[in-house]
Amino acid sequence: MSNPDFTLYVVTAILLYIVGLYGIAIRRNMVRTVIGLEIITASVNLNFLAFTLLDPKLLPLAQYFVVVSIVLGAAVASLALMLVIQAYRLYGSTDLRKLNKLKW
Amino acid sequence: MPQSWIVLQPIIILFAGALILPTIEFLGKAVKLEKLRGTVAVIIFGLSLYSALGVYGEVQRQGPLTYFLSPYEPPIGVDFFVDQFSIFMALIFCLLGLLISIYSIKYMEDDTGLDKYYSLLMTLVAGLVGISFAGDLFNLFIFWEVMSLSSYALVAFKKYRWEAIEASFKYLIMSTIGSLTALYAISVLYGLAGTLNISQLASIIPTLETYPPQLPYFIIATIIVGFGVTASIVPFHFWLPDAHPAAPSGISAMLSGVVIKAGVYAIARVLFSIFIPTAFNFGTTLILFGIITITVANFMALLQRDIKRLLAYSSIVNIGYIIFGFGVGAYALNFYGVGGYSIAALAIMGAIFHVFNHAVGKGLLFLGAGSFIHEVGTRDLMELEGVGKKMPWTGVSFSIGLLTLAGVPPLSGFWSKLFIILAGYAVLGNSFMIITTSIVVLNSIFAAAYYLWLMQRVMLRDPKPKAKGVHEVPILMVIPIVILGLITVIVGCWPFEIINFADVAARSLLGLLMG
Repeated sequence: MSNPDFTLYVVTAILLYIVGLYGIAIRRNMVRTVIGLEIITASVNLNFLAFTLLDPKLLPLAQYFVVVSIVLGAAVASLALMLVIQAYRLYGSTDLRKLNKLKW
Repeated sequence: MPQSWIVLQPIIILFAGALILPTIEFLGKAVKLEKLRGTVAVIIFGLSLYSALGVYGEVQRQGPLTYFLSPYEPPIGVDFFVDQFSIFMALIFCLLGLLISIYSIKYMEDDTGLDKYYSLLMTLVAGLVGISFAGDLFNLFIFWEVMSLSSYALVAFKKYRWEAIEASFKYLIMSTIGSLTALYAISVLYGLAGTLNISQLASIIPTLETYPPQLPYFIIATIIVGFGVTASIVPFHFWLPDAHPAAPSGISAMLSGVVIKAGVYAIARVLFSIFIPTAFNFGTTLILFGIITITVANFMALLQRDIKRLLAYSSIVNIGYIIFGFGVGAYALNFYGVGGYSIAALAIMGAIFHVFNHAVGKGLLFLGAGSFIHEVGTRDLMELEGVGKKMPWTGVSFSIGLLTLAGVPPLSGFWSKLFIILAGYAVLGNSFMIITTSIVVLNSIFAAAYYLWLMQRVMLRDPKPKAKGVHEVPILMVIPIVILGLITVIVGCWPFEIINFADVAARSLLGLLMG
């Protein structure tokens, strides 16, 4: 754990995770919520790659994981954006505050 | 361990089915046979159940099976591992898939895009079976996303209704944060151990020197939070009471009956196989999550007027029992060391048995509620009063479902609750266990009260005006409900086969760590 780059990357990954969560919690626009999810995906991918700095033997498999994870993230994002479009058609807005009919 | 490619059969059949179904729809339109897709879907689900039974036979004969896509051996390749616990879960998934596809033929008759509905249902079940068969964590994560994506799409299936869209969006955001949190934990595990194969991790992690030394507990917490969102453990349950009622009833049965169990399965598999409970104390956490889940969800269930929301909250309650059972197992092993093995086996057996009972019981209740809604056209409990009198077959089966979840003795739900509570009291001389188990018992009685209240309302009251003119639903919708009711009664009166199976499954889950 002595590699300074490693610390930098891991801390960046954690910060990105927090930024993504903050975006989902605070922003009221559905599209920004989806962007928040993508930021979290990026943070996890970065974390996978950060560990390869410590041991280069981890690199090939980590790359495979990251590529597959990007594909899955794209699938989730496309489905989420479909829901955003459909919500816009039904409500005429992408404001999450308008989507509050379901409670308890 | 024996290599066998047959572990792939159920997954391949379901994915192939999902691919060919749109073609079948096209052909059916050409020859004016619109019903063709439903029949084909039922046949495909039947085949998957049959092949899962074949895998079960192999596991019985040879013990746990593995399979990797050659030539890439673990840890590089895609790896499958099937033991008794996996196949127990997979059989439940395939059984519910078959019954729900039969139910959907009539229930979904008036909807459009049904080929996509069945395709998504197949990928959902394929993802679930894949989760239970996965031999390495990344593989598990891929099937996890396949399952989640199918269920988001199915919740939003009636996309012209605001409720479905809102519930699906909420579900998608929360569940994706959860699975990414779990993936974060998986990435840290990969960095520490250099492999994601579960059996290799099991030999590396317990002896690993980490800096800081609390790092494994961080991973355990992230795993519980990450998979716990899908399992709907209480602080992370907000999506469930919205998503389950908004879906079509067959899908509600699928989500409540089995999808949330996949979360429990993932938690149990990762924690018990990789983080040995004798080395790490995660039992306390699971027990606390369990009792909070049971208590909060019980109070929330009492406030509901919508029949499907009430059932959704009762699903959260039952997840609490299951998590509590696993927690007792881990706690006993940590408290007594290897001496706690028999208590742990009892507790985990109870939890696994409860997975079965709740899948069958809640599947039955949601399908029954779906039949009521189909006939009366409302989800309001006040207007559904007395509807059971007009629909005798559905009504009686629905009551059996309520009684089994209430834990009335001759039915199957009684046995699993009994085992979990007995195991909780079996950890002697420990006030923590006595207090928490007593809370579970009190909640169990409390829950029985509102199940009986619901039964009295639906079955015994005089029918309300809306419910006066209704008739029994078509035979194809009655059959799955009656089958599930019969399973409950038969397993309740003759539980020994399932208990044996659950016991072997529990020992297999623990046996991985006992070497």
